[in-house]
Amino acid sequence: MAEMRPEEMEVARLIVSALSLETRPEDIAPEAPLFNAGLGLDSIDALELALAISKKYGVQLRSDDERNHRIFASLRSLTAHIEKNRVR
Amino acid sequence: MPPEPALPLLARAPGEVVCRRGTRPVTRGQFLAEAMALAARLPEHGHVMNLCGDRYRTLLAFAAALLRGQVTLLCADRSPHRLRALAGLYPDAYAIVDQEIEAPLPVLRLEEVEGVRDGDAAMPAIPAGRIAAIAFTSGSTGEPTAHAKPWGALVTAAEAAARRFRLRAQDGPPATIIATVPPQHMYGFETTIMLPLQSAVACLAGETFYPSDVFEAMASVPGRRILVTTPLQLRALFAAGQAPPALEAVISATAPLAASLAASVEQGWGVPVLEIYGATEAGSIASRRTTEGDGWLPYDGTELRPGAVAVPGLGEIPLADAVEPLADGRFRLLGRRADVVKLGGRRASLAELNRLLAEVEGVEDGVFVAPEDLESNPAARLTAYVVAPGRSAEEILGALRERMDPIFLPRPVVMVRALPRDRLGKLPRSALAELRRAGAGG
Repeated sequence: MAEMRPEEMEVARLIVSALSLETRPEDIAPEAPLFNAGLGLDSIDALELALAISKKYGVQLRSDDERNHRIFASLRSLTAHIEKNRVR
Repeated sequence: MPPEPALPLLARAPGEVVCRRGTRPVTRGQFLAEAMALAARLPEHGHVMNLCGDRYRTLLAFAAALLRGQVTLLCADRSPHRLRALAGLYPDAYAIVDQEIEAPLPVLRLEEVEGVRDGDAAMPAIPAGRIAAIAFTSGSTGEPTAHAKPWGALVTAAEAAARRFRLRAQDGPPATIIATVPPQHMYGFETTIMLPLQSAVACLAGETFYPSDVFEAMASVPGRRILVTTPLQLRALFAAGQAPPALEAVISATAPLAASLAASVEQGWGVPVLEIYGATEAGSIASRRTTEGDGWLPYDGTELRPGAVAVPGLGEIPLADAVEPLADGRFRLLGRRADVVKLGGRRASLAELNRLLAEVEGVEDGVFVAPEDLESNPAARLTAYVVAPGRSAEEILGALRERMDPIFLPRPVVMVRALPRDRLGKLPRSALAELRRAGAGG
């Protein structure tokens, strides 16, 4: 299994707590898809996760962001996007 | 025989705005010219699965299909199994799309209709009895149930909604609807496709899913602004802590809105919060202002009957909710039939979900359970208790993923040795809660 960086661990914890998942944060594979297969998140989760991310990091997710698919592709890509854009 | 009555495609005055594409208004004349141009390019025949993402293109493709006498299939669930099921039910169907999408049927990719000018074509009329669209329910079995919508019924419902929400030409300056709901969902279709065609309303095209999208979209339109949304979206928008520009109304549907949230939004944003009650089968049938109590006022022309509602143009449609008539002509919702659950605007029957679970190889017994707060807590999902010796929760989930709407996938799947069935084979809720605690512990 790929190694998880501390920043990824922090985002993994946020995902698990915001969505009340039964998964343990350390069990989320950093490069596995968050939606559909993988964690199996759905559109309600996407909204909830966006809210949690904006509260914690001040990063606003947007639909017309063409990278949106790539941002939500995995824990790794989501963390990278947050690190690049965070204001707190 | 007298000629069949027909109703115009657009009940709009020349020059009125039908849709706003960003800052660019599309007027009635321009829209009609583009719809006619697209209609001429459509295949000779077939049902049209309208899979456009952009709201304007969805509207355009619907109008073009209507002009060609073709029936639009409204499919908000784009999971591969649902698209396959619909393609199987309608072998002549083709899809109109505006982005890359894997679809198991022939695809017409919509390009911008270029070089079409606002002409002076006569307004086409569509026979009132012709089926304009078909909506679908029950995403859980893979077998969609079709609900045909005659053009006359759709127009009458749009007129009733416009009267109720003061969106007719005589009610004031034209309004713009900013919506967070997909136009292929019945509620989104009625509000953002039918209202712009039949009342003094323009819809805003473009994506509005995340709170930042929606706030930006609301700020981008002039005049009377109406936000059309759902309880979960409204909750996220309000929690984002931004102030929207002046709104004329917030309209919510698909699930009951918490009175506390409605009151907070009314106070914080200074806007009336209204709710629509409806169902895919019947369409919108009543509304209320949440803070004024739990009585729903039926739309003009609709009539509540025991276990059903009579809708103009559709006849008597059974209701999934139990209702109680009140003295003032309103009615109160008494709750869903115990078997029906609703998530993300989609309904499923627990009995059907249980049947799907039982069909998974290796499953000896199993049951889906809905938490009490399923419709109000965004993190709440169904739980499945499964007896399947030798199989893992991941395997069960993988098998279910192939055969049901992902929104209803159990979270979690709890593997147990046996279900606590009583002597009648029933499962008391308290016994299941006990199982859950035991399962979580180990």
